[in-house]
Amino acid sequence: MTTVGFIARNALRNKRRFILSVSSVAVSLFLLVTLQVALRELTNPINDEGSTLRIIVRNKVSLAQPLPARQLPTIERIPGVAAVTPFSYYGGLYKGDEKFTSFAQFAVDPVRSFDLLSDAKVAPEQLKAWAADRTSAIVGRKTAERYGLKIGDRMQFTGQIYPCDLEFKVAGVYEGTADDRNVFFHQKYLDESLGDPGTVGTWWVKASSVEEATLITDRINKAFANTSAEVRAETERAFQLGFVSMWANIKILIGGISMVVVFALLLVTVSTMSMAIRERFRELAVLKAIGFRRRDLFAFILAESFGLATLGALLGAGGAWLLYGSIDMQQLSNGMFLMFEVTPQMLALAFSIAAVLGLLSAAAPMLGVARTSVVQGLKTLD
Amino acid sequence: MALPLRYSFRNVLIRWRSTFATVLGIALVVFVFVLLQSLAAGIEKSSGNTGDPRNILIVRKGSTAESASLISRGNLREIQYFEEIARNERGEPVISADVLVLVNLPRSDGSGEANVLLRGISARGVELRPQVRLVEGRWFTPGKREIVVSSRLAKRFANFGTGQSFKTGTATLTVVGWLDGGGSAFDSECWMDADECRSIFERDLYSSFLVRPASEAAGVKLLERIEADRRFKLKAEKEVEYYRRQTMTAAPIKWLGGFLAIMMSVGAVFAAMNTMYASIGARTREIGTLRVLGFRRRSVVLALLIEGALLALIGGVAGCAVAYLWNGYTTATMGFETFSEIVFEFTVTPRLMAEGLVFAVLVGLLGSFLPSVRASRLPVIAALKSV
Repeated sequence: MTTVGFIARNALRNKRRFILSVSSVAVSLFLLVTLQVALRELTNPINDEGSTLRIIVRNKVSLAQPLPARQLPTIERIPGVAAVTPFSYYGGLYKGDEKFTSFAQFAVDPVRSFDLLSDAKVAPEQLKAWAADRTSAIVGRKTAERYGLKIGDRMQFTGQIYPCDLEFKVAGVYEGTADDRNVFFHQKYLDESLGDPGTVGTWWVKASSVEEATLITDRINKAFANTSAEVRAETERAFQLGFVSMWANIKILIGGISMVVVFALLLVTVSTMSMAIRERFRELAVLKAIGFRRRDLFAFILAESFGLATLGALLGAGGAWLLYGSIDMQQLSNGMFLMFEVTPQMLALAFSIAAVLGLLSAAAPMLGVARTSVVQGLKTLD
Repeated sequence: MALPLRYSFRNVLIRWRSTFATVLGIALVVFVFVLLQSLAAGIEKSSGNTGDPRNILIVRKGSTAESASLISRGNLREIQYFEEIARNERGEPVISADVLVLVNLPRSDGSGEANVLLRGISARGVELRPQVRLVEGRWFTPGKREIVVSSRLAKRFANFGTGQSFKTGTATLTVVGWLDGGGSAFDSECWMDADECRSIFERDLYSSFLVRPASEAAGVKLLERIEADRRFKLKAEKEVEYYRRQTMTAAPIKWLGGFLAIMMSVGAVFAAMNTMYASIGARTREIGTLRVLGFRRRSVVLALLIEGALLALIGGVAGCAVAYLWNGYTTATMGFETFSEIVFEFTVTPRLMAEGLVFAVLVGLLGSFLPSVRASRLPVIAALKSV
């Protein structure tokens, strides 16, 4: 019998316990990875390539406060600004949805907006058709698929923020961004329906280069300092992190609780795993008596608990990786989670925890083996 | 004949060393379940606790949240003279035309900024909401740029002490007092004069009207009248009912609590099974003896199931107890309806604790079912012979 064979046979001698131990490690690590993924999704908003160039300008009071449309020429003249579009969140309820519409609708400038949304791919003729028809809209691929929308179909919305109901004709479908769900329509159409209030929600600005982006935000902020509508210009990244800050205590709380619990479940596993070895004290004493040295015994114990923990990690973390890689979380969670991606760091974390677990659960029995003499060990009954 | 309960009970106590980790595991599962659900319960309690049952809230038809509603001043001029609306001793209609503004302000701990809901209220606004009390300073003076902030928000945001002031938009607002909403949604608001508020934030329109009908019957009539009048495009409903529906924020937390509980209980069942198998394995001879003495298989199964359930129950009680330590602790997050910081308390209700305990017992029963069946099936002679 080889050493490896001996260790494997030992580990599998109580198959039921082996399976239960491996599964509880697997479940704990699966949970750990899932929580990490969810937490990353909450605290680390996704970016697509174009986002490094994008600057978002909102009213300094808050995002909900509109900006005067007259700011446009001032922003356009700021050095380093390549393109500007109004970007107003319409927040309508799609006809047929009961309480909540899972995609956003934005009023934009049809000529410039897709220059800013550089990741979005739209057929040029669709873009042209959209620009030509004031009541038409470009729809994200996911939304189009979900509602079975084709070019030429009509979409009706009830305004929840703006006191106007709108109807759009689908002019085209875009895809290629991190979140292909939005609907874009003409700012002019919104203005007309509201009786030209002369306001927009936010401005989205494209910087001419990444290096200049922060400089441009400063210039925009200064340009409107001490006016009736002071602005806050920030990079898309900073803008998204502002949302993260608003989650307040919840994210810390959820993160904290989850980590503690995963840790506790692992402790339970440690206890059951070391139970398996404790039971074998007499045998280990026999091995010692027939000439195996202490470090051989240590190697046996360590290899077994390491193997068990690693197998658990493979099943749990690997399972999470396979599962989240193959399902469409965006659709399952109704747009709450966009990526739900297991990163290599998370896998590394899961495997390091498994390694520590292997060490910890071997530690107690190893200490016992080191302390007991052969005679004592042989006397052990359990 | 059933085994005495004491057998199961003493088994749990005597083997505490080997079962401790399992009990701890179950305790933590229950702890997390109860704690997360208590967050959701706290949010629901705070909104369910808001409003005066006599009041009627009027918002624009189609807007789901008061903060996203817009009503013209023309509507106010007409509605305030409706005879269904109560009048105070000076003969003024008891109606408050409110304007809600979201203001982005820095937190006091320097950890970034968050939105605060600012409510501009009319002269009758305070008397319409008797659950809101002034706990420090004084109310704002109409026509001045003064503000009364919630005492709970005051702990979370910079420059919210009485006498301090902060800048928003073009205006500098001076904090003159602290309000206490008595555990309602008003604990997450700041109040100021509606007209000042409209001028600072360039709001031509109001957000909502809160009215007190003259009587119960007048209230019903008012609801019907506003619903039926095509000119208004307004929606009227009881204030308490409006707030009771504001539970969007609680939903994902509930979902997360449920998901975690289910996932963790799977792990806990495995751990409990392992422990029970080991504990039964160690007393094979004892179980053989019991069978020889004439205890039937199902008595053995029952005794072991009770043992597992007891074990889990101890864990469950410990978990509930630790979760209960958080009861009443104030925390905050972003509310989905208002898009602003909402303050609420962990609310560990008896119902939640009962749910947690039932949950724990289920884990215990599931975890000990297979091991106990196995124990009862052991051949008696072999069991007696085992070391």
